[in-house]
Amino acid sequence: MAVSDSTARRYTLHDPDVRLMLKVRDDNDAVAFEELMLRYQNRLLAVLEHLVGNRALAEDLTQDVFLRVYRARERYEPGAKFSTWLFTIANNVARNAKRTLSRRKEVRAAAGVSGSMATGTLEQMAKEASGLMPARQLDKAEMSEIVLLAMESLNERQRMAVLLSKFESMSYIEIAEAMDLSVQAVKSLLSRARTSLRQALEPYLAEGELPVANGKATAGKK
Amino acid sequence: MSSPDETLISEDSLQEELTAYLDGELDADARAAVEKKLSDDESYRVRLQRMEDAWALLDALPRTEVDPSFTQSTVEMVALAAKEDVDSAQASRRRRAWLGWTAALAAVIVAGFFGFRMVDQAASAKNDQLVRDLPVIENVELYRHIDDIDFLKELEAEGLFSDSVESEGVDDAI
Repeated sequence: MAVSDSTARRYTLHDPDVRLMLKVRDDNDAVAFEELMLRYQNRLLAVLEHLVGNRALAEDLTQDVFLRVYRARERYEPGAKFSTWLFTIANNVARNAKRTLSRRKEVRAAAGVSGSMATGTLEQMAKEASGLMPARQLDKAEMSEIVLLAMESLNERQRMAVLLSKFESMSYIEIAEAMDLSVQAVKSLLSRARTSLRQALEPYLAEGELPVANGKATAGKK
Repeated sequence: MSSPDETLISEDSLQEELTAYLDGELDADARAAVEKKLSDDESYRVRLQRMEDAWALLDALPRTEVDPSFTQSTVEMVALAAKEDVDSAQASRRRRAWLGWTAALAAVIVAGFFGFRMVDQAASAKNDQLVRDLPVIENVELYRHIDDIDFLKELEAEGLFSDSVESEGVDDAI
């Protein structure tokens, strides 16, 4: 899509990462490319790992994204923030990888991990822990595991939207662009995602306590 | 009384409204309306707080960091790809140049072939004409004494020129 001069100027002026990418495009500047990699590799890896659920694969995909960025450098036009452009590529790469994986039936029961199964695991964790020590304080690793399971209870698109909103501070318009959706679809997606997260994490809200032995959520009082 | 569908829709829109409020995506009027509702409605306020708390818990997600070797291997991979791109561009340029030369050579051969054919045809057309005109040429000294073309035609009609080739030759020569 053609990018107007004023749009390109605006993003070039306000986004330092756009300026780095333009150096890569215009001067084949390897230092600028490495700087972009350093700025984004952890963030990209985090998003991709949440999406594909596998560290090694996420690392491969992260490298693939950077390779695509490099190969697309000559066609690059600053029509959005650099991060929006980058996560658009990441979203496509993750989607293709998931498609290939599911075609090979090697995916780690991705569908099974989401929905009722993940909720079941959360409940199970709560019950197991609470049976040993009712209403005890959760440690950081446990809480991390619980939130991870709550994230896995979301579908892929909800997860992507949550990650972009929460950790990349993207607006609805930017998320819509990165995920090739309408703004209204992003709004609904995030709303449902927040509801699911709230429901999944309800027992652990407030003081970070596990529920009592019968597994009912009683620890969320403020 | 509202139907279950209506309740569901209003529940969805309430949820969307709160989400958009928390995400800073409401315009000034809508934001003011939500804030008014928040100050008036305790359950609405609790609901917003729960959503905010659940969202904040996402900070507990494990931090992902790449290994130090990751950056290096990515740089190497990209450098390798860049070299492949350059090699491929050079190969493509060489291929295009080779194709250009081949096409030029083929064009020269084709042009030469057709040129030869045209010259050859022109030459043989001249020869054919000479062959056809041969009876006339052989007797041209005799015909020169006859001034009247009609008389020649009469001689032809009477079969003086024994075959059709000769007849055509006379016509053409005349």
